[in-house]
Amino acid sequence: MTSSENPLAGLGRNAGAAVLVLSSLAGGDKHGYALVKDVEGFSGVHLPPGTLYQVLARLVSRGLIVALEADSRRRPYRLTAQGATVLADYITAQQRILKTGQARLKRSWTLA
Amino acid sequence: MDTRVRSKLDGTRRAVRLLRWYPIAWREQYGDEFVDHLEQEFVDRPVDLGRTVNVVYKGFAARIADVGLSNGDGLAKGRTRAAVGTSFVLTALMAMLALNFWSVAMGLWGGRRYHPAPDTVVTGVLSVAIGFLLVILIAMVVTVAVCVLRQIMRGRARPLVVPSLFALGAGGLLLYDVRWLPRMLVQYAHGTEPLRPNPTLSQPLRVIDELARITWMLTQRWVTPWSQNASNTPAVQTVVNYLVPLAVLILGISIALLVRRIELPHFGERLGRATVALQGALAASFFVAYALWFVVGGPSGDTPFWMGPQAGGAYLAILALFAVLIGRLGILARRVRA
Repeated sequence: MTSSENPLAGLGRNAGAAVLVLSSLAGGDKHGYALVKDVEGFSGVHLPPGTLYQVLARLVSRGLIVALEADSRRRPYRLTAQGATVLADYITAQQRILKTGQARLKRSWTLA
Repeated sequence: MDTRVRSKLDGTRRAVRLLRWYPIAWREQYGDEFVDHLEQEFVDRPVDLGRTVNVVYKGFAARIADVGLSNGDGLAKGRTRAAVGTSFVLTALMAMLALNFWSVAMGLWGGRRYHPAPDTVVTGVLSVAIGFLLVILIAMVVTVAVCVLRQIMRGRARPLVVPSLFALGAGGLLLYDVRWLPRMLVQYAHGTEPLRPNPTLSQPLRVIDELARITWMLTQRWVTPWSQNASNTPAVQTVVNYLVPLAVLILGISIALLVRRIELPHFGERLGRATVALQGALAASFFVAYALWFVVGGPSGDTPFWMGPQAGGAYLAILALFAVLIGRLGILARRVRA
């Protein structure tokens, strides 16, 4: 898959943070601070504010998430169908890598 | 005042201060929610140097994207106009140096008895590149001026007033500085210059040589104002010469601001992208040709750096930087589809 086909590939160093944001939004709409807390809860990663908003802007521009109407100053974001597909593809690819790695470790190394 | 209220106000002030690192367009889109987000972060962790560094760094990155030099922040709206404006500023500044370098190269080329083909090819590329860059700059100024006038006549002049005034001021100073140029060109054309009788079109080398000489006289005062003989130059003219690079910068920024604010026809965005891409290609061609000319032996034992090798090297490095930045703008502009 080329970078033009895979929107996450074009995010460069922010691809990891983008996956965290997409995974968080897969559980429902959230505004910036709620996103940070949720990501921190399920991954232990704290997304700094500058990085978070850079990723949000890029995901919006790629049509993977949409910004909803702001509630006072807090604007929630929602995962789009395209974003869900991209996240699902990414997770499938990662699972394949995970299974391969685990199987090879089991065969070659006496770990776990 | 309640301690909690005071702490909240303090947090808002800090957040607004951090928000200033971002460009206006970004602040308009994300400012409110970003400030709200930071306020909540301040409650969790009042002091966090890493967070401040992150915001400053990302704000700077957003500013770079805002002027079209990167495509990273996701704000596609207005990206083409930003790229057109920035490329105008960079090309205008580069043109001062490039014209001077061209005049040196052509002066040395024209002064030779024999002209090896590689030397002629690269000096030809230099001439075509700088010629087209100047035509593009002039065409952009004229287009922007026409659009501004049309918008003023439609009664929508308000956002254009300040940059227009700055552009007029800087443009006026530049015209004042080159006021002797038309007279000198006429003198050369009609042979009234006592020391150098008129070159005709049947003597193309003489024409090129004269043109290079006039260009050198014009531009060397801009790029090396400190090297002038002050006793021969009137004080007012010296001040004007010193101000020319600043005037070019102000004119460039004013035009860049106007490009962002004027109403353009539908094809304007596409034309803008093509213009930036062309400027990038021309700037890169100029630098590559100049470097080739220099390496292949263009100076022929003479030095093209009239101000000394160190300052000359620095100017060459600046020229390379401009060429790289304009080239990058051109590449990014070709990628923009929004």
